Amino acid sequence: MIMADGYFTLATILLILPVSLLLGVVYAYLFRKFVARLQWRVGPVLVMYSDLAPLLGTSRILQPLYDILKLFGKQTIIPQNARKNLFVSSPYLSLGFAILAVLFIPFPGMPLLSTNPYSLIIASYMIIGSIIFTILGPVASGSPWGVIGARREVELFLVTELGFVISLFSMAFARGTLSLYDFARGGWNFATLILAVFSGLLLFISMLGKLHIKPFDMSEAEAEIVAGPYTEYSAKLLGTYYLERVFMLYGLVAIFIAVYLPPLSSAIVWLPLYLAAAVVLVLFLSIVQNLNPRYRIVNALRWYTKLVIPLGILCFLIALAIRMVV
Amino acid sequence: MSSPIIKILLDILRNYSTPMTLKYPSTVEAGKKYSQIPEGLRGVPERSEDKCIGCRACYFVCSGRATSIYDNEDKRLVEIFLFRCTFCAHCQEACPEEAITMSKKFEVTASSRSDSAGFVRTNLEMLKCKNCGKPFLPKKFVKRANERLMEKINPLVKDVVAADFQKVADYCLDCRRARGVELDTHTKKHVWLEVG
Amino acid sequence: MITTATDPSLVEWVKSEAAPEGLEFRGLRENRVLVRVKPEDLPKLAERFVKNYNARMIHATGVDLQIAGIDVVYIFDFSKIKDRLVILLEANLNKENPQFPSVAKVTWQAEWAEKEMREFLGVEPVGTPDPRHQFLSFEWPNTPETGAALGAGKAFPKAETPEGKATEILLPLGVQPQVACSTMIPIGPYHPGVIEGQMVRLKVEGEQVVDADIKTGFHHRGIHRLIERRGYNKGVFLAERVCGICSGAHGLAYVTAVENLFEVEVPERALYIRTLVAELNRVHSHLLWLGVVADVIGWKTGFMLTWGLRERVMDIIEAITGNRVNYGIWRIGGLSKDVSNELATTSLKTILGMKEPLERLLLPEVGGHPVLKSRLIGVGHLSFAEAFDGGAVGPVARASNWKIDVRMDNPPHAMYDPKKISWEVITEEGCDTYARTVVRMREALVSIGIIAQCLEYLSKTSGEVRTNPKEIAAGSTAVGLNEAPRGELAYFIKSGDASTSEEKSNLPKCVRIRTPSYRNNALVPFMLIGSNLADVPVVMGSVDQCMACTDRFEVTDTRHDNIYTMTWDDLVALSKKRSVE
Repeated sequence: MIMADGYFTLATILLILPVSLLLGVVYAYLFRKFVARLQWRVGPVLVMYSDLAPLLGTSRILQPLYDILKLFGKQTIIPQNARKNLFVSSPYLSLGFAILAVLFIPFPGMPLLSTNPYSLIIASYMIIGSIIFTILGPVASGSPWGVIGARREVELFLVTELGFVISLFSMAFARGTLSLYDFARGGWNFATLILAVFSGLLLFISMLGKLHIKPFDMSEAEAEIVAGPYTEYSAKLLGTYYLERVFMLYGLVAIFIAVYLPPLSSAIVWLPLYLAAAVVLVLFLSIVQNLNPRYRIVNALRWYTKLVIPLGILCFLIALAIRMVV
Repeated sequence: MSSPIIKILLDILRNYSTPMTLKYPSTVEAGKKYSQIPEGLRGVPERSEDKCIGCRACYFVCSGRATSIYDNEDKRLVEIFLFRCTFCAHCQEACPEEAITMSKKFEVTASSRSDSAGFVRTNLEMLKCKNCGKPFLPKKFVKRANERLMEKINPLVKDVVAADFQKVADYCLDCRRARGVELDTHTKKHVWLEVG
Repeated sequence: MITTATDPSLVEWVKSEAAPEGLEFRGLRENRVLVRVKPEDLPKLAERFVKNYNARMIHATGVDLQIAGIDVVYIFDFSKIKDRLVILLEANLNKENPQFPSVAKVTWQAEWAEKEMREFLGVEPVGTPDPRHQFLSFEWPNTPETGAALGAGKAFPKAETPEGKATEILLPLGVQPQVACSTMIPIGPYHPGVIEGQMVRLKVEGEQVVDADIKTGFHHRGIHRLIERRGYNKGVFLAERVCGICSGAHGLAYVTAVENLFEVEVPERALYIRTLVAELNRVHSHLLWLGVVADVIGWKTGFMLTWGLRERVMDIIEAITGNRVNYGIWRIGGLSKDVSNELATTSLKTILGMKEPLERLLLPEVGGHPVLKSRLIGVGHLSFAEAFDGGAVGPVARASNWKIDVRMDNPPHAMYDPKKISWEVITEEGCDTYARTVVRMREALVSIGIIAQCLEYLSKTSGEVRTNPKEIAAGSTAVGLNEAPRGELAYFIKSGDASTSEEKSNLPKCVRIRTPSYRNNALVPFMLIGSNLADVPVVMGSVDQCMACTDRFEVTDTRHDNIYTMTWDDLVALSKKRSVE
């Protein structure tokens, strides 16, 4: 049984990689499509290398993937001022951490490594690790735009991490477990429902910062600092960063559904509802993206602390109450 | 969420199903390639070969120096280089025969500068001088000049002028001057006529 | 309307009160008075005009008259003091010693103009406060020995690269190269946030801008010289192509200037159509600007929504004039196309249908958005005193509570009479970027009202729209003013002398254009100091720059230390070579 279990886990780990890539690409496409439709436009148009057509098919849903593959076909330029080792290795390390984070989040029918009793902590740390390397790489690039972008990214990261941690760990505190698989299977009662509403809102707000959705995308502000952290990156390094963003999108959506919509991530019979919930979440993200300009970093920090800290304290108190009473 | 944001959201959702952008070329009306070209659009100038007399008015008036005249041997070529044309319609206004119209065509693309899609060319035959053999004016120009002259001239001198015109129409300007007295077409003739 | 000669009493007033030091007084058409003065009197007169009468300086320029010397002209706007009066001060300098005392010491408004005159005419304003180059690059040779003795800029330090080679760095005065590498951020010449090509150098500490400097000179095209060679009729098309967004305003100003050179009668229907086209131009320009500012602060949806509504305006423009950007209907003495009654009726319906979504979108939704307000309020402050001394024009001045508008003070040859079309001038008191935004939005709504009134008139009447003047009088001078969407636009044209061959060929002697961005860009460094780095593109965008309007002279290549000019064919050959390799 244990052997079969091990083989099953290995098989699912190998299977989740293309599945998460595909789902991340579909979420990215839907995001662009919703954003375009809400701007009275049509949406992404199919643009791809014609040599790849027999291999991958021509379908507009995979347009973000074609964009990434186009980047891999171009010439990589490394600036003279950059610290070469850190500059070149950062995208790959960032992608590696993102994929590791995905492995600890359950998918309907595939518990993967989330049965580990500490999977929530491991997943959060993997996400943090991925973001760290999106900060270190640009710093090593030696251009003033990268430095300013990286500094803004650090400030944004510190604040979003606070909300992220408080929301997830207040739910963990209430349920008394740190394993994502138990979250996915867990039941509801009235008190945890109230906690879920508030801490779900907190996690949604933190996701905005992590995914660089307006109004919190000042680290990539193209009007002010060219491309921010990604200014000096080109071709396959930039493509790797974009892949990391795809995996991050999938990972954050999956964590949200695993923690706040419990039964949907457990058994394979919930798969259609899981996908529907993901699409609705992406729709909400795109609505927020559309409605707001970009904040200045100072305002963003102030806004975050005015909102995140009170909400976080509230969540913590509710979790404490649940833990003591129940 | 403050009320301006809600108003924007409602405004956006109002037009959710009809996007403002259309694919190129517009497929709004089946069977028609472009359905949104207004009446007054100034596109590529088109010159009708029948009406053009080669008077070079369009060449002098062209704002972008796009029109050029090439005279070789017995042909005059009037050519508009579309990559310099500004579609200002000065040539349309200046042409005395109304030979130029601004069509509604606006896609002027070619893959090289010598591609004939980038030119509007009109060829005219030149009249050769009976005396010295030099080509001097297009045939249609001379014919049309005669017609216009006959329309507006004072009836008192009409016959004399018509006869004189027939005599000199085939000579170039230098030969006309040289033979003015010989052919009895010198300009002081009319003074004699009116007095006498 | 008929272009009338100036009232002699105005000339008398100028002679007796405003400028008694003048040598010769001449009344031009439409209340412009030309005064010949001695070069030494220029600063004294300028000081009197600016301090005692509160007049504005429109432009300062010069004409090279070959053996007759160089004529320097300073144009002042007195329209608030006396009825639509504009005074031109002309002084003649001889070529061996073209010096005169600088007016920029007296009023800062003359600074850019004097720098430009020094570079392109070789005159020497003595005592000017800022001796650097304006349009030529900073390292243009300054010494008389090389023969290219234009300018008195100081030589800049040459930095040493690690290999020991000397390289030239473009640096403003007083900055050491080592310091520049770590704290200077270049915004330009190419930058995605700023559409136009210019160089703004900022000195930052953290995210705070401590010092700013702006350098133009990247868009040279030679339009003045081209118009002087091609004549008045073809000059209409060249004037239109100075700028793509405010193309209609340039056309109207040019035609106004040329019609002021001689007596011409413009039919009334043509005046209404001219106003219609100019106001349509203004609406589309303000909507475009609003979208650009929304894009710069990062709100792409605002960009798409405003430009979506702008498309309806462009459809009307295309149906009326035949083209979306460069209208091509301006002619001297009228217009080339008429607007039929049916077209006017359908356009009126479209405009009225657009009015309500526009009113709903502009002030309540876009202008009231809290994040937008937090990005724009308090940013790029320009007080009334700074605007007055610096000579701001257009919405930048009106947002600092200075009520100047060329359409009311000095109207061009179009129908802006408040008795026939009711409209008003919008001012705001905020003095910051948000006030400029509100001014432009409200101006767009006022323009829609003007358009609706013009279309109503046009749909009910008929008439001719063109008179054909044959010959333009020789030896006259004219100033044509118009309110472009960005501010006051001035064309200064002199027609050819009767004594030279120019009269026979009907060519102008001198054409000078002064665009509104020329004035507003000079004030950008003052607005940038003290603001956040994230606000820099916002401030630069709020001034609504049009660098295409600002740079307009010929360029000569000095990269290889020899001076040559490239002709059109050379450039074509170069581009063919590059695309093949």
